[in-house]
Amino acid sequence: MLPTTTEPAATAGVVRARGGSGSFPVLGAALAAAAVGALVLAGALLPLDDALVVENAIGLAVFALATNLLLGFGGLVSFGQAAFYGSGAYVVMLVWEHWGWSFWLGFALAPLVGAALAFVIGVIALRTRQLYFALLTLAFTQLAYVLAQQQHEFTGGDNGLFGDVLPRWLADARQGYMFTLAVAVVCALLLWRIVNSPFGLVLRATRENRDRMEALGVNVFRHQLGAFVLSGAFCSVAGTLFVIHTQSAYPQLLEWTKSGEPILMAVIGGMFAFLGPVVGAFVYTLGHQWLVQHTAHWQLVLGAVLLGVVLLRPDGLAGLASSRPWRRLRTRNGGDE
Amino acid sequence: MDQLVIEAVGALNAASSLFLAAAGVTLIFGAMRVINMAHGSFYMFGAFVMASLVSFTTSSRFWWAVPVAALSIAALGAVVEATVIRRIYGKEHLTQLLATFALVLIFADIVLWIWGAEYRTVGIPDTFIAGIDIFGTTVPKYNVMIIGTALVVGVGLWLLLRFTLLGWKIRAAVDDPESVEASGVNLKLLFTGVFALGALLAGLGGAVVSPQIAVTPGIDQSIIVFAFIVTVVGGLGSVLGAAVGALLVGVAQTAGTHLAPEWASVFPYVAMILVLAIRPWGLFGVEEH
Amino acid sequence: MSAKLLRVTGLTKRFGTFHAVNDVSFEVAEGSIHSIIGPNGAGKTTLFRLLTGVHAPTSGSVVFEDGPIAGKRPYTIARKGLVQSFQMTSIFPRLTALESIAAVIVTRSGRSADLLTRFHRAVESEARELLESVGLGAEAETEARTLSHGDQRALDIALALATHPKLLLLDEPTSGMSPAETRKTTQLVVELARSSGLTVLFSEHDMDVVFEISERVTVLHQGRVIAEGTVAEVQSNPEVMAVYLGEGPVLEAVAN
Repeated sequence: MLPTTTEPAATAGVVRARGGSGSFPVLGAALAAAAVGALVLAGALLPLDDALVVENAIGLAVFALATNLLLGFGGLVSFGQAAFYGSGAYVVMLVWEHWGWSFWLGFALAPLVGAALAFVIGVIALRTRQLYFALLTLAFTQLAYVLAQQQHEFTGGDNGLFGDVLPRWLADARQGYMFTLAVAVVCALLLWRIVNSPFGLVLRATRENRDRMEALGVNVFRHQLGAFVLSGAFCSVAGTLFVIHTQSAYPQLLEWTKSGEPILMAVIGGMFAFLGPVVGAFVYTLGHQWLVQHTAHWQLVLGAVLLGVVLLRPDGLAGLASSRPWRRLRTRNGGDE
Repeated sequence: MDQLVIEAVGALNAASSLFLAAAGVTLIFGAMRVINMAHGSFYMFGAFVMASLVSFTTSSRFWWAVPVAALSIAALGAVVEATVIRRIYGKEHLTQLLATFALVLIFADIVLWIWGAEYRTVGIPDTFIAGIDIFGTTVPKYNVMIIGTALVVGVGLWLLLRFTLLGWKIRAAVDDPESVEASGVNLKLLFTGVFALGALLAGLGGAVVSPQIAVTPGIDQSIIVFAFIVTVVGGLGSVLGAAVGALLVGVAQTAGTHLAPEWASVFPYVAMILVLAIRPWGLFGVEEH
Repeated sequence: MSAKLLRVTGLTKRFGTFHAVNDVSFEVAEGSIHSIIGPNGAGKTTLFRLLTGVHAPTSGSVVFEDGPIAGKRPYTIARKGLVQSFQMTSIFPRLTALESIAAVIVTRSGRSADLLTRFHRAVESEARELLESVGLGAEAETEARTLSHGDQRALDIALALATHPKLLLLDEPTSGMSPAETRKTTQLVVELARSSGLTVLFSEHDMDVVFEISERVTVLHQGRVIAEGTVAEVQSNPEVMAVYLGEGPVLEAVAN
């Protein structure tokens, strides 16, 4: 019943999340450090336009990592993470616009708001399963989108909010880049810690076999809610990085299609490898950038590429083999009947 | 009383549009366990094809434009099924969601390519411009037409699934594909047919509702959310559920515009949240494992 | 006389008019190996489900360690120490054997909300020890889904053991196993019972296994207990023979 293909050695081939004895895989750490070093150099040396593209990728990488906590490690397909991403951006812009708060206050507040929002949404959405969960989260983020559009007095409506929200030293492009990178690295380290903690292990076990964990006394709902809240907080931080990038916030950040991006990135880069989403984020951002410059039909190409990736992976996606095999139309699965 | 009738018709109109958009999603899921994010794209295609067909005159073309539009989308659906959908039967939800999301992207681009980004409108045939008398109140005839279409579709689907051989085959194929195949039914063709039917419903929805909406690229993304809301509220796979869900959401929407216009768009979401809080599988849904 | 860890009295489960389990009573002594046997449809699986809380009984009682548990939720019962290892192996496919056991240990010790510490050496060493004891020491870093069928069963049992159960329920532990694997599993069960005083209650079809390791046997037929006793007593019971040979009335007539 269980397929014998193994997880692809993290398509990125980089660090795997293993709950080992606590020793950080040396090779993985070295590679990651090298990558960060390369990004520092990129920020300092690349022409400004290119550096900004990389900055965007870094921000989206955080978004993708945060989403993958749910997707790859928790087995929860949420199409609603854009709600937290957009909220992060909006929190920063809103407190500045309406109350004159500094960027830093907004930056500090954003993850808290994201967590709170995730708590509210999670409490409702996590009561549903599988597809209902995906569609419900999709609806929630769409609700946020609609609210942002319509409450235009507060949110700036369709145009959103924009302005000189950044403190001077952050507004300098290269320094903004370095700050973004620093935040991203901190987020990545924290998420790494979380994934490799007992909490993370139980989360992964729950992904593999929910019923067994419940039988063992785990309150799976609470556990998943915890993961959902964490993911929301980190997605919000990614949203603040967007503000550093563009000094704006607008409704499209909340749309359900925006939620698709980090999922896409995680899938392309590899869902089960910790840094997979980072790889995916870079591939997506750089690829998108290149495409847009060469054709008006970037959506078509992106869609075709995604379709290709999805259809041609032999076991579905990234060696995905569900512990809850979906009932195949052709063969019968045993399952726990 | 006047006001009540107008509101009621408005609510039914909204419900009917929602039902037409959602029926296909739930049918396809119910029959083949496939969730199709690109369903909204079919709807959008239906609206655009309709817009093109009717672009010059209103009266005479309208009548044949609707079925032509619907059938053309059915054909598109058949092609999509044979090339893409066929490969994702039985796969993970995520796989299905992403594959059909890829189609959303592709179709969105194609629509832009063919029709460009501007607004289009679809004129109503002259016969519908007048109002019709219901309980002493004048109501836009076209609203009634939409309600009528939804009713016909709903009843037709129910009859199809309940009483025809095709309906039996579909239900049997879901429960026991092997024996259905053994009895000589061409399963592949059946699935293509069902998917095409779902696409037809979407195209029909788009075509019929097109005079009431602004036909622009982007309606695919907004209608699919409502289609999902209705489907989820009603229970994935249940056509009756879709009907009831559409009614609920349509009423919620209309009530919202009436009670709190600023927050009107929130109402359908609230309705969905409430339903799922009580029944996480939707009103007529089946608990999944 | 050793304490009775589990006391089942008049346990009945009715589905509509069908009595899957009908007025079943038996006791399991602490530290013993007790088996439940009976032909297909005798109600063994339903009985186990009643014991673990998956089903609530129609009537009757189950007392575990002097506390009633009938009708309680599965995880409550599991927490009290009555744990089942499943017939259809229910493991964590993509976790390694070590991670799987560690996950259970973490849960058992209430540390599942721990977000920031890395793995305790203690957890890892306990996990490795447990894997050794079920013969999976070498497979600690292997992904569960790539293990052989027999190894997966051993892992499944290990997962149950990791909860430090007082009573381990095994539902047909050797089904689908090769003779070698069967041997390995039965030896394992015996060792566990002897060395750690674990009480084992298992259902089986393989009579050799039953007769080899059981201290007491309860025989079910069509939901009822038709015999109970030591292996020898059950083996010589004519009703039991009749049920298994399927010649009920004829044999009884002959015996009379």
